[in-house]
Amino acid sequence: MIRIIAAVLVLFVPVIASAQDSRPAQLTFKDIQGRYIRLSDYRGKVVLINFWATWCPPCRAEIPDLIRLQREYGSRGLQVIGVTYPPQKLAEVRRFVRKAKMNYPVGLGTKQTKLLFTPSESLPLTIVISTDGTIRDIIEGILLPEEFQQKIKPLLK
Amino acid sequence: MKSRSLIAAFLMIAFTSIGVFAVTKKSTIRVDGMKCSKCSGSVEKALKATPGVEKVEISLDRKEAVVEYDDAKVTEAKLREVINGTGFKAVEEKSGSQQ
Repeated sequence: MIRIIAAVLVLFVPVIASAQDSRPAQLTFKDIQGRYIRLSDYRGKVVLINFWATWCPPCRAEIPDLIRLQREYGSRGLQVIGVTYPPQKLAEVRRFVRKAKMNYPVGLGTKQTKLLFTPSESLPLTIVISTDGTIRDIIEGILLPEEFQQKIKPLLK
Repeated sequence: MKSRSLIAAFLMIAFTSIGVFAVTKKSTIRVDGMKCSKCSGSVEKALKATPGVEKVEISLDRKEAVVEYDDAKVTEAKLREVINGTGFKAVEEKSGSQQ
């Protein structure tokens, strides 16, 4: 049991992040495929860190939209990253990601991961990181089309 | 003759007022599956962003959304559609009243 908990903790290791606009947000973690994801690797892109859970109806409802946004705006510099919160079983998340055909990286998060960005307990929760790596916005609840148009689209190429 | 003119004028004003003054309607919509306080905020957010919606109150205990809206701008059917779009299910109309 301890090994399983340790494995889950190792899977998602946030290094350091800043919720201040002036400093670049930093985050490093392994996605559910075991690949390392570093926020710094996406410098120059507009990154949406989407906190979600498989059991959360609004999170599930917005995933098709995030898949579509990644597909339509990926070439214009958009990168969606999914982070599950509260902690969930890896197998369950993998199953969901496969079934939903999510086209962006997904990792397992913890309360600490989320706290690096905001104390908000809303779900879903989307952190908008601008091209220079700083936190541009924190969107609580489902991402509305008008929010994308007003807050995210203007940041894209 | 004078009273007829007054009645006609009154009726004319009354009829034209229907189109001019919006009527605020209040609907209580039961929302199936809404039990998580972390995610119910999306229902409130989506409803408040809907043109014509004036006030939204969410009750997790009663699993319902009480919405006040301008029925010239939005219908209850549209409100249900908005709720369904947040991943929950608007089930039945409990009540509806005009203010």
